[in-house]
Amino acid sequence: MALAIRFALFGCTNRPFFHIVVMEKRRAQRSGKIKEMIGSYDPMPNQDNQKLVAVDFQKLQKWLGFGAVPTKHVAELLGLGGFYPIHPMSYIKAKRKRKLMEKQPADMQAKEETQETAAIQVNEDTQPDSTEDASQ
Amino acid sequence: MAASMKCAWARCLSTILLNSTKHRCQISQPLYASCSNISGDSGNDEIIFRKGEGGTDQTGQEAGLADDTKKHRRDPGKAFTDVRVQKILLRLTGLDLDKVYEYRAAKGAGVAKVALMSDQQLKKVYESASYKALRKLQMPPVLGAREPIDEVLSEDPELEGLNTSKLVFIDISQRVPLKKRTIVVREPNGTLRKASWEERDVTLQKYFPQSGRKIGLPRMFQQDNLECMLDDGKHEYILNRACSQFEIDDPEYIRVTQRTYEHIHSNGKFEDLRSTRHFGPMIFYFTYYKKIDKLLVAFLEEESLEDSVDLVKLYHIVHPSCKSAEKVASMPDPTPLEIIGAFAEMDATQKSLVQQAIQTYEKECDSTDSTQLRR
Repeated sequence: MALAIRFALFGCTNRPFFHIVVMEKRRAQRSGKIKEMIGSYDPMPNQDNQKLVAVDFQKLQKWLGFGAVPTKHVAELLGLGGFYPIHPMSYIKAKRKRKLMEKQPADMQAKEETQETAAIQVNEDTQPDSTEDASQ
Repeated sequence: MAASMKCAWARCLSTILLNSTKHRCQISQPLYASCSNISGDSGNDEIIFRKGEGGTDQTGQEAGLADDTKKHRRDPGKAFTDVRVQKILLRLTGLDLDKVYEYRAAKGAGVAKVALMSDQQLKKVYESASYKALRKLQMPPVLGAREPIDEVLSEDPELEGLNTSKLVFIDISQRVPLKKRTIVVREPNGTLRKASWEERDVTLQKYFPQSGRKIGLPRMFQQDNLECMLDDGKHEYILNRACSQFEIDDPEYIRVTQRTYEHIHSNGKFEDLRSTRHFGPMIFYFTYYKKIDKLLVAFLEEESLEDSVDLVKLYHIVHPSCKSAEKVASMPDPTPLEIIGAFAEMDATQKSLVQQAIQTYEKECDSTDSTQLRR
């Protein structure tokens, strides 16, 4: 039983929307076996160029107490929000993007971001993570 | 608890009804009789009014509520919440049941019921209606504009380039008051800061919507549209909507309400707001910013001496260091006209106008002869 705090992709074609949920790590995200929903993340910026993230921090802390482990991308997001320290991958991604920006024009930046969304989708499907221990 | 609240409301009522014959309060006699065992100046007004800081201190000197120092000028809230100020504003507002229970085309507005009742039942219904009306007359507080939020939690320039948009984080934990909810923003340049007031209002409305509020500024409150609405005479509607749309200390709320009050002032339509919850804040606004001349003249023309004296007394409470306040304090037992006269002579900006109004009033009094004796 690997209890995880992870993204569950909802929304529709060309319009992703993530719920931040507590469920088993290796379950299909739309199987309906979500233990609790504790937030949301909208990866598409709104009119004010904001990406909205809502997290019920009380519930998050409760589930962390029960032994739930955030996935990479959730941990990154929480790091950006100030709940966790900034994830090393955030620094690495930022550096890579800056390097790209120096070489290529601005539309590559947007392409990178859609690729990142796709990466989150792929990760949150049933893909075992070799670096993390299956927690008891 | 219920009994003590009812006592407090009854005291509130008796304060209004004391001099309210001018405001066409039809039920004053029987209702006042039921409140008559409660004295008007009891000391337990904290139940309704928060005790302000404007009382006399140990040395007997009145703390300046609206001194001409910048500090007080920025925060009318202290003066507004003073017990004495609240009492006077309540008295001036009055209670006109017809106006308070006027039919409004709104959601939930029901059809009026017609019933056959005995005199006792009627009396009870009037009482409960008056208590409910008092709730409708609760004044939205007048506060200074809120200080902008300017707190940076962390600077991480190494995150530059990660995102081209801002990330807004809101805490949606249960049972947290709206004002205490944490909302932070991670900028594209890597700075993590607390969200500004405008960002807060918009984000809170998205996740915790309040009825009657729109996200962003409604077009009605844009300057040109506001002027159109004011010219149409929709003062009460504007003020009501401003109350539901904005927070009380929002600079936009202050702009809209003050513009509305100024428009009323230039057109002299003070009576439009009488017996509504906005009358008190309007009177307070004029008193705080020393613009009561036209108002005073309007009250005198109506021949309501009580209102005029209340207004001048309010002015003296809010500006205790003014010349007429000192003069009146030195008088042994000033009559209402003397108080108003002192104000007109020493502190009125349009001295001749006010003095003329006093003279007209005195002439009217001499001709009728009963109004002056009553006071």
